[in-house]
Amino acid sequence: MTVRPERCITCADEAVAARVVLLDGLEATVAVDGRRERVAVDLVPDTRLGDLLLCHAGIALERLEAEP
Amino acid sequence: MRYVDEYRSRDLARALSVEIAELVDPGQVVRIMEVCGGHTHTIYRHGLEDLLPPEVELVHGPGCPVCVIPMGRVDDAIALSEQPGVTLATFGDMLRVPGGRGSLLEAKARGADVRMVYSPLDALALARKEPDRHVVFFAIGFETTAPATAVTLLRARAEKVSNFGVFCNHVTIEPPLRAILETPGLRLDGFVGPGHVSTVIGTEAYRFVPEEFRRPVVVSAFEPVDILQSIAMLLRQRREGRCEVENQYTRVVRPEGNLRALAAIDETMELRDAFEWRGLGSLPRSALKLRPAFAEWDAEARYPLPGAQIDDPKACQCGEVLTGQIKPWECGVFGTACTPERPLGTCMVSSEGACAAFYAYGRLRRPVKERVGAA
Repeated sequence: MTVRPERCITCADEAVAARVVLLDGLEATVAVDGRRERVAVDLVPDTRLGDLLLCHAGIALERLEAEP
Repeated sequence: MRYVDEYRSRDLARALSVEIAELVDPGQVVRIMEVCGGHTHTIYRHGLEDLLPPEVELVHGPGCPVCVIPMGRVDDAIALSEQPGVTLATFGDMLRVPGGRGSLLEAKARGADVRMVYSPLDALALARKEPDRHVVFFAIGFETTAPATAVTLLRARAEKVSNFGVFCNHVTIEPPLRAILETPGLRLDGFVGPGHVSTVIGTEAYRFVPEEFRRPVVVSAFEPVDILQSIAMLLRQRREGRCEVENQYTRVVRPEGNLRALAAIDETMELRDAFEWRGLGSLPRSALKLRPAFAEWDAEARYPLPGAQIDDPKACQCGEVLTGQIKPWECGVFGTACTPERPLGTCMVSSEGACAAFYAYGRLRRPVKERVGAA
């Protein structure tokens, strides 16, 4: 998830939010930099369409607050 | 959507640079350690040191998960990949980390079935797709990555996927911080705390730093403005005589962390008695192993592993870089025997490693007489 060639996957070190565009149980499809990827949302309950999620290694770690 | 532009604002960065300069006392150097390799990467990539007064010295910390894996564990992973029927899956950066017997990429070239994945869930999917193979995920990373492994294990159990396993090398952030704080002669005045580890463990987890060691911590996000703001917050604490844990990354980090993620880790993993860290030696209760309830998916329980302790190459000074005792360019082999193309030590492998980040972005900025590798 949020893979960039210059970045290391183990750290997910950029505040890149991924917006949920499809939801199927505990699997969400998110849009990142024009691509679509699947992430597991087991750890972010009540994920809804349109949420911004912080994703790392194929799972969502947290929902980003709607700011700034 | 990248959600980063507002954190790369030139005007904001300039204003913070001025504020930081006003918050230091002339001639009095403040040494701040950024714990996370992601911060190190941003600092070099965006040239943040140029925006800081000479009184602020940044020291790179041990928070690159690839960098702290000792050579012996890489050899164990290579041994696993050579087991008949085993497919070893791991993150791309781990393929290039040198062990005593070369890297996983070299094992792959010799015929081992080694695959790169972006997530442990991809490795589980591989196991479902190829039922004749036993797919072992070589798991590394701090508390940021452990939840993904935990969720994968819980799913493997729920779906009864028996041809999947985990070689667990997850580590925890508190023990290396303690080890650094207890290093004799290493003067540090504060910490820029890791952002995404804190998403999982919360800001409360760092209270021991001000309470036991009288050093402030500011948990920080990863964009240039974020890091400058965190440095300003640390300096303001110092100016006002405060010493506490503050949260700059409020848009995602909570004081208590992500309780579900912590529960998933706790259900699947437990602390090891000790774990060997590159550069820091053996640290008690600093890494995770699978709980006995998950022995069926534990590659360490299923396969014989060499488990050898292998010393780093003599010329390699990763240990001193990882503990902030020397800067990347002060290592004797930086940019000569050790380069991103042919890394000798782990700090040169991952883009988050202090040496790789400095090699990519910083080395040409130093004056020629100091520039390592200059003809």
